Parts: sequence; structure tokens; C-alpha cells
Amino acid sequence: MWLIKNVHVVDPAQDLDAICDVEFDERIRNIIKHNANTQNTLPVDADSPDEHTVSGRKTSEAAPSGNTVQVIDGRGKYLFPGFVDVHAHLREPGREDKEDLASGAQAAARGGFTTVLCMANTQPVIDNRGLVEFVINQGSQAEGARVWPVAAVTKGLKGEELVNMVELHNAGAVAFSDDGRGIQRGQTMLLALQYAQLTGRPIISHCEEDSLAANGSMRRGPQSARLGLTGIPAAAESVMAARDILLAEETAGRLHLAHMSASATVTLLGWAKKQGIDVTGEVNPHHLIFCDEDIGLTDTALKVNPPLPSAADREILIEALANGTIDMLATDHAPHTWEEKAQPFAEAPFGINAFETALSAVWMSLVEPGKLSVSRLVRAWSLNPARRFSLAGGSLSPGTPADVVLFDPSHTRVIGEGTWMSKSTNTPYWGKPMHGFAIATWVGGIKHC
Amino acid sequence: MARKKSCCWKGIKKGTDMLGNHKDLLGIEQLTSQDIHHIFKTAATMKEILERPIKKLPTLRGKGVGMLFYEASTRTRVSFETAAKTLGADVGSFAVTTSSVNKGESLLDTAKTLQAMKFDLIVVRHASSGAGEFLARNLNAGIINAGDGQHEHPTQALLDAFTLYEKFGQQGEAGHGREGRTSPDSSLFAGRKIVIVGDILHSRVARSNALCLQRLGADVTFVGPPTLLPPEMACCGVTLSHDLDISLRGADAVMALRLQLERQQSGLFPSVREYTALYGLTSARLAQANCATGQTPLVLHPGPMNRGVEIDSVLADSLQSMIEEQVTNGVAIRMALIYLLIGGN
Ligand SMILES: [Zn+2]
Repeated sequence: MWLIKNVHVVDPAQDLDAICDVEFDERIRNIIKHNANTQNTLPVDADSPDEHTVSGRKTSEAAPSGNTVQVIDGRGKYLFPGFVDVHAHLREPGREDKEDLASGAQAAARGGFTTVLCMANTQPVIDNRGLVEFVINQGSQAEGARVWPVAAVTKGLKGEELVNMVELHNAGAVAFSDDGRGIQRGQTMLLALQYAQLTGRPIISHCEEDSLAANGSMRRGPQSARLGLTGIPAAAESVMAARDILLAEETAGRLHLAHMSASATVTLLGWAKKQGIDVTGEVNPHHLIFCDEDIGLTDTALKVNPPLPSAADREILIEALANGTIDMLATDHAPHTWEEKAQPFAEAPFGINAFETALSAVWMSLVEPGKLSVSRLVRAWSLNPARRFSLAGGSLSPGTPADVVLFDPSHTRVIGEGTWMSKSTNTPYWGKPMHGFAIATWVGGIKHC
Repeated sequence: MARKKSCCWKGIKKGTDMLGNHKDLLGIEQLTSQDIHHIFKTAATMKEILERPIKKLPTLRGKGVGMLFYEASTRTRVSFETAAKTLGADVGSFAVTTSSVNKGESLLDTAKTLQAMKFDLIVVRHASSGAGEFLARNLNAGIINAGDGQHEHPTQALLDAFTLYEKFGQQGEAGHGREGRTSPDSSLFAGRKIVIVGDILHSRVARSNALCLQRLGADVTFVGPPTLLPPEMACCGVTLSHDLDISLRGADAVMALRLQLERQQSGLFPSVREYTALYGLTSARLAQANCATGQTPLVLHPGPMNRGVEIDSVLADSLQSMIEEQVTNGVAIRMALIYLLIGGN
């Protein structure tokens, strides 16, 4: 049994934003709110109004016999429902030199994530029952975040034949995506949005029109022109987002837009929601923090797909996350080997290794300057993703599994060897000091990091 | 955890030289107008040496200059080799066909090999923008960028500008400059209008020339169809135009870029015929510009020329003397750069 005392709990699902004592074992047992006026302690769980003390009935009932209560002083710290990351590349099977399910789950937990979804663009592709089960088995043995597979939409990510969606969903796939590339044929996407309704799970669209993005390595604009790098127009994303939104409307399907990076995509998402189309969207921290002007010819750590936006688009993305048009944050954690990134910009692979820096980066760049409220942060990175993908977590409601993160806004780390859990180091923050970290993460009450 | 590597490719190495604080020449971007004039002065001296009967100098005896060409360009490579040898340096060449660069070896591995060979200076041409900067960060040797992707080709820009510098200087002396002026060298480019026409988007020559000429005080206009001259090219601070005839009026010089014919296959322009009709440089066009303003622009071409495409045959022939001059200027400029980078004490 754990007892975190005097900690600032932010849990939008319960409309809770207050100093509390929280106790949990494998499940959340009790949250006692310190009344700001009277210093009385009151339970927030309406179903158990008679719990007034931390050593109350439920505590002793819930604690396995012989277990002691471990008390942590939470003063100056936050307690959040564990973060839920719906977009990660864990590279297993096939590229275990970059990351595997075990190291990915560990790195995620260190970063404050209690549940992560891993994309299907592994080698081989996660497009059959055996591989879905493999990911779930490996993930369940990993000491870290819960890992759930996103299965491919099409066999081999070829954009042609649909996978056995119902079978893969029954095996444990929580969504479908050909992430890594866009589905080029409209008819394939239409059928996927229709057929996936048998599972109730969303199609996650990696919006990228290949002929427009062709061989580009950064967003098209003055900076790509200056550097002599082939530009990818923002429309390469937005035209596909428009198509997929209209197909979701046509089919009444469930659509989720991955890694939104362009202002027009934001406009389209806002329009779709007004129309009542069942669509949500995510944005990656790097698209909110960096922009195309930050790229130099040797900064391959900043090479991502979709590419970093213009400064103007970045502001629109931030605003859309803050006002709820964009539903959630997601890391798009994409580990690559040092050797692969140590190449000229155009030849290096796309992707940022993000689990262990993303929360701190968002905290420093968006929350501290007042661009994103703490409650919006938790809603966007825990509650909303958990709800959209029907996952455990997203709230600290008593009785739910204890997926909990203790966050210290002043904890400082220099990003580097000492604490790093991922197998790869392709982060723009390597060697740099950051602050605002998860100092403890519990997954089902088991403490990690 | 398993082994980790630090991002040592970000490591910066030191080195002082006679070209500002640079150990490398990666692009015009890094040069001030004083740097460029200093290079021109040095190149003028080198050119005198090239005109002597005995050309070989002992200046760089014992120094090693490596040629690393991932894209074939005999002209540029020979120009650099001649420059280095004339200064007395030892030259090692790694053409694509004779080394491991075409066997999938990474640029980083190649850099490590070169490091072990203890070259003082590496001249690199590569199809990727930033390849020179990448090597500069990974090697102690100085780097001269001999063309990186669509980014920069600084030695070409310097030799083009040096050629114009000489021509504008002669115009001044002969009294048929615009005001028959005898201006100081540093203001030879002030108020000059220079047109660069062709496939600007994909051209490192256009980028480097625009930066160089503007730094010297000239006004640069880029001309081409919208597909090869998109609006973001205004980032270089130049004027953009899609009309060659209007742009030629009052121009002091015009540079026609070589058109890569495969651009037509990717749909960037509908046909060579239409391209030539709109953007081909012809004697008739120049005469028309002369009629309008009484001034015929000097014509430059970085070569090799597609006769009848970006430049007509008559004009190409009339350029022949200038092209030979540019070959000499190319060697002189490269001698100056090699000397300034590794010849200092
Ligand atoms: Zn993607």
C-alpha cells in the first residue's frame, strides 16, 4: 500500500485539482482532499462519504496482509493519472537494435507513461494474430508501461488488402493503423473505416499523400529553400486529412488523425467535429516546441515525419491543443540508431526518441509559460486517449487500477547515459538539462523508476 | 542499460586560418564581403602566377589535399587538383569508382578513413545538402565544399563573381561602364543588376551566386517558371520573376543555369521546346534588351551547356573566350582558398 501525502492531484475526470492524500495498492483506494478553508480532510469519492482518515476502513481492507504502508511526502509535487501514449514505435520484432518491447515499456514508465500503444510498422508487420499475441505477451512481461498493439490496417502495410480486423481485435489489438505511411487509395480507406466498425476501434490515419511528400525531408518553406533540402508541403498532410474526414462522414466510421502538423489540418478537424463526424486528433510535442527554422543541415535529431511546422502553424497547433480542438498529445516515440542518424540530413531516417523527454519538454515549453494548463495537459495525455481507445487509466477514481505518476516540476536531469532507458539516443535534448519529470510511475500499483 | 553512444558527431573542432575564423569553406553564407574581397585579391595574385612559365610553387610542400567526389565532375575535380598541385601540395583522389564510397560505406565511415590518412584539407562533392558540414564536424581536416546537394557550391560562385569583378573593373578602366566610373574595387558591384535564369529550385549554383553577389552589393533577380522558382526562393533576398525579357532590361550580367532534362520527366515543365521559348538565352533576346536600354548584359554559364536549350548555339560560341577565362579563374580562386585555409602559419 502506498500513501502519497499532501500532493497536488490533478484529475479532470473527477474534476479534481487540489492538495490531497492518495492511497492505493493495485487499485486506487482513497483520495482525501484537504479542504482549503478548514484543513479538514474530506473524501472525494461520493460512494464512500464516511472515509475521513487515511487509516480508515478501506485502507486496512485493501492492503494485503502483512503489507506496510509506504508513505511519500508529496509536497511540491503533482499526482496525475498515468499518461497514456497512443503513438509509439517499439521496433520489436525486427529492429531490436533500436528498441524492443521491454526497453520501450521501461523507457515509457520512466517518462511517466503507464500505457502505450505500439505501431504495426515492425519487421514483420503486425498484421496477423500471432504477432498481436506476441506483442501482448512480450509487453506483459516487460517491467514498465502497459503495452497494447495497434494492428495494421492492410496486410504488409501495402495499402491493399484489409487485415482480419475482428480476429486481431479479439486477440487484443486496440486500434488499426498503417502508420509509417499513408493509405494512398481512397477506396481502401473507405473500406477500412466501414469494416473496422465491427470492432468499435478507430482507424488511426497517418495522413501523407506520397506524390506530394515525395523524397522531401522537411516542411516546404523559406528554410527548406535556404538549406537546399527538398520540401514537403503542408498540404501533403492536409489533403489526406480532408479525404479521411469525408470518408469517415461517408461511412460513419471512427477516425483518429495521427501527428497533426499543419494549420489546415486543424481547421479540418474543427469543421469535422462541428459536423458530428467521429474523429479525433493528436499532436506530438516536437510539433509544438520546434519549428522548421530550428533545423540546420546537421540537426538530424530534428528530422521527423510529418516534418516540423512553420512557426505560424506551430502557434495554431498549440492553440488547438489548449482549446480542445486537438484532443490529445502523443509522442510518436521513434528510436533510431546513432549510426542511422549520423548521416547527411536527407539520408537520415525520420523520428525522435521521445518517451523520456516528452513530458519535461511539454512542461518546460508549454505549461510553465502558461500556454497549456496542467489540467489540459492531463486531459490531453491521459483522460482523452484512454477514453478514445477504451483503455484502462485516464483517471484516479477509487477502484480503478493504480496507474499513477508522481511528477516533480523542479526535478532536474541532464539527459544522458545515467538515467536513460531507451536503447537509442536520437533526441534533440541529449546532453541538455531539463526539468519537470515523473519521479515515480506506478502501473497497477507496481512502482517503476 | 546497454551501450550508449554520445552524439559525438556534434563535436566541434578548432582551427584558425587566414579566412576569418574558418577552417572550412562550406558555403558563401559564412563569408563577409571583406572575406570575399580578400579571396579575390589572393586569387588575382594566384592568376599572375598561373601566367608565369614556371607555375609550380613550394608553398604547400608536405601538405595533403584529398578529393572526395561522390558525384562525377571532371572539370571541378581537375580544377581543384591543378590548384593544389600548383601550390606544391600532395593530392589524393577518391573518385566514386576507385574507392569504397560506392559500396554502401557511410559518409561517417569514409570520414574516419580520411581522418586516419591525415589530410590537411578535403574537397568534397556530394548529392546531399549538408554533406560538407557533416564532414567538417567529424574531421580535423579543413573541408572545402565543392557542391552539396541543392545547397551551396561556393567555389563556383566565387569564380563567377571573380570573373564579373574583373569584367566590371575593365569596364571602369575603359570608360564604358555605366558612368565611365573608376570606382574602388569594393564598390564594383554596387547597384549592378544580375539575372540568374533557369532551374533555381534545384540549383546550388544559383543559391551560392545569389548570396555572393548580394554580399558584394549587387541586386540579383532569379528568373524561371513557377515550378522551378517557387515563392520560397525569395528567402535568399532576391527579386523573383517569371519573365526573362523584362528582367534582362538594364541587367549588367545574366547567368543561364544548366537545365537537367530529367526535370521534364517529373513534370516540372511541359516540354523543352516551351522552356526554351520562355527561358532560353538567345542573341535575339539580348539584342532586344539592348534596344530597350542601350546595354547588353554580360553572359555567364557555369557549364556544361545544353546548346539550344538554355542557351543558343551562336551565343554559346561567342562565350567561348569567357569560358576559357573562367577555367583559369576557377583554378586561381581554388588556389586562393586552399592557400588561405591551410597555407597560413
Ligand atoms: Zn506516422
